[in-house]
Amino acid sequence: MEQFAPVKRAKDGQPIRYLVVDDSVFARKNLARIIGTFGGQVAGEAGDGVTAITEYERIKPDIVLMDITMPQMEGIEAAEKIVVQHPEARIVMVSSVGYQENIVAALQRGARHFVQKPVKPEVLYEVIKYVLGDDATVASAAGAGV
Amino acid sequence: MSHGPDDCNAEMRELFFETSQELLQSLNDEALKLEKNPADLECVRSIRRIVHTLKGDAAACGFRELSQTAHAMEDALALESIPLNTIAEIAFTAADTFAVMLAAYQRNADVPSSESLQKMLRKAAQDSDSEKSSEQRASTMSTGPAIWNEYEQLAIQKASAKGKHVFHVAAIIDPRCAMPIAARQLLLNALEGWGEVLATRPEAGSQKPGKKLEVLLATEKTSEELARRCRIPTVTLPEVSVQVVASPQPQPGKTNPQTELKRTDAAIAQSETGSSPAVTDPPSQGESPNTSGENVLRVDAERIDSLLDLVGELILGKSMLQQAFYELAQRFPKEAIRGRFLDAMSFQARVLSDLQRSVMKIRMVPVEQLFRRFPRLVRDVAKECGKDVELALSGQDTDLDKRLLDAIAEPLTHIVRNAVSHGIESGQERTVAGKPARGTIRLTSYHQGNQVIVEVSDDGRGIDSQKVKMKAVEKGLLTTDEATRLNEAEILDFVFRPGLSTAEEVTEISGRGVGLDVVRSVLQRLKGSVEIQTHHGKGTTFQLKLPLTLAIIKALLFHIGHRLYAIPLNAVAEIARTTESELHLVDQHEVLQLRDRVLPLIRLGSAPSDTAQSARKIFVLVISMGERKFGLIVDSLVGEEELVIKALDDRSISTDLISGASVLGDGRVVLIVNLPAVIERHARSRPGQQGTVASGFLLPTADLKLAQSKVEAQS
Repeated sequence: MEQFAPVKRAKDGQPIRYLVVDDSVFARKNLARIIGTFGGQVAGEAGDGVTAITEYERIKPDIVLMDITMPQMEGIEAAEKIVVQHPEARIVMVSSVGYQENIVAALQRGARHFVQKPVKPEVLYEVIKYVLGDDATVASAAGAGV
Repeated sequence: MSHGPDDCNAEMRELFFETSQELLQSLNDEALKLEKNPADLECVRSIRRIVHTLKGDAAACGFRELSQTAHAMEDALALESIPLNTIAEIAFTAADTFAVMLAAYQRNADVPSSESLQKMLRKAAQDSDSEKSSEQRASTMSTGPAIWNEYEQLAIQKASAKGKHVFHVAAIIDPRCAMPIAARQLLLNALEGWGEVLATRPEAGSQKPGKKLEVLLATEKTSEELARRCRIPTVTLPEVSVQVVASPQPQPGKTNPQTELKRTDAAIAQSETGSSPAVTDPPSQGESPNTSGENVLRVDAERIDSLLDLVGELILGKSMLQQAFYELAQRFPKEAIRGRFLDAMSFQARVLSDLQRSVMKIRMVPVEQLFRRFPRLVRDVAKECGKDVELALSGQDTDLDKRLLDAIAEPLTHIVRNAVSHGIESGQERTVAGKPARGTIRLTSYHQGNQVIVEVSDDGRGIDSQKVKMKAVEKGLLTTDEATRLNEAEILDFVFRPGLSTAEEVTEISGRGVGLDVVRSVLQRLKGSVEIQTHHGKGTTFQLKLPLTLAIIKALLFHIGHRLYAIPLNAVAEIARTTESELHLVDQHEVLQLRDRVLPLIRLGSAPSDTAQSARKIFVLVISMGERKFGLIVDSLVGEEELVIKALDDRSISTDLISGASVLGDGRVVLIVNLPAVIERHARSRPGQQGTVASGFLLPTADLKLAQSKVEAQS
């Protein structure tokens, strides 16, 4: 597995903290594995939208990776609820091509970006860097991403 | 830089196979629900979500065929006009197809074709409204280069009249991004607050996949700022072209066609509301037990087994220690330190039993895991037989040792199949008999003492004991003479004998393969039992009784002919002391009058050789097997002990009277008696040839000696 130049928080140099939301355990583990290669840290996981909201409140992650189709509450609704409470929340929608309309809806409701399933690590890496913008620093080690 | 299938390491693959089994189960569940209520759109959504998850996971694991098939199915389900009543059938076929494909992946075998499913999907797609697809095709054609239409031209004029620059921003969509509409939305998000979007290409609401994104923007920013803003990694390529369309025109225009501008706004607004159908969806009620518990670990069963083995060794160690202590205490009866030893040992014993219980608990899984497969099974079998059968489940949360659960899957399947195909009558027959046309099968599980009971009952025709009797005689399992003597329960017992089937016609489903004799032998191997209750015309209940766990039992130890044996303590109802002279002979069978009932006896050891021994004291262990009670005559009792069962393989021992063995703290070997087999052997024995009673089942034979020496060698 490819390693990426670690992305750290600009303010304190700590690893980026992620909340991974997906109803598939498999997908969550897969994302956690990829996040590991970015030097990131999975601060929480949720299997549905309701849990995602409470987990967000609890851990205040830097990034939320949010699936679209989930039981209890779908990703769009969860994203919207989080953004209303926390306009600074950085939510990246993770879904497949078939749910493009839903991604559009999520983007209209405050999601910051999207990646497509199956998630390619180098794509997610670019997205994460973009979404974090100036709030993140990339370690100076050579070979940053693409 | 490939991140394809190879990245998915073995552990992820394992996880995938596990989670996908759960997905398939949910798929079956939803399909069943949908079949009952074809208008349930929530079910359709759930099915789509399940297939979607499967598709994603399979793709991440590099299982291309599966992912593509799931994708095709997801697409087909997305067609709004697909006939709802076909979806359940498609979902069943899909669940089967996916299961076969998964099995092939797991074995690294060639992936079988999914053609029959594909065919179903294509047909469903064809049946769905064709108008819709032509409409879609038309909209695909209507895309052109960035030529601004009349309204947009007016908007440009108006903006420049307001003193703004109007830029034409064109970005190429990153080839890695397959979602142009989402890309456009993200671009619009990026430009939000930067000015007024006058037009976009592709147009708002268009679903056309394109390679280029174009925006007409009225803004006060510079072209460089815009170009930078529109570079969005993974969505647009860095080469963004920004061209000036119109420059600020300082005079305020009065003839502005306000209405036109409003229309543009309205169009955008419309696209926003129009493209968010998912938000109005009611929250799904589907539960996903495996995802809610974030603290759940998945552990290989083997690891737990080895832990359990260690606990077993510890228990052995405990009894070794106890043995040594008793000897010590006998040798030094006045030693003061004994008290401290006793305290420490009882503390250790308590912790050990807690440890044992905790480890056992790890192995426990709810029977729901097994029950879940039956709704689909019952549906399939009922359909094949042309019957209307309802399955009612209860007690799904009863816990059972995982190994037991796996072992009873086959027998239970057999019984349920039988119940549908033979037990439940045809609808017509039922109506004639005054029963509801729809048959009911109940699957229940509950704890009873130290046992777990799994019951299958149907409200069908019941088993005709006369038919069983005739069949048994016909097959030579029974003489006509014996047949008249046997009671109902004893006759019913014949259905568990090999080579007896009362089904009049052999159906494809239940007339082949394992019979009830196999069911019984599996249950005996598990130290459980199977019983049957039937009422002619009213129905049949099969009761599987299982020990809570396999590996450690509380047992009663006794001697027969100087050899040590044990039976599970929970089988012993009471222990009676008597003398040989109290025993009576009825029909060449030994019996004991115990209070107000006559107890048939089974003599495990040898019968007394002469009458001089008639005053000899003996113990009778009263064993209850379901409704029936037996007495076992043993030579002497040793006591209770927790035994760690060591399984005997078939090569060690050829008698079925012994189900296992164990080693005591002092190294002595105990053979564990297989009670159901002993009772069956007793029932089959034909006394009377020499006028003697049946006895000596467990007298030391070559077989038993061999078994004992094997166990000694192992330990």
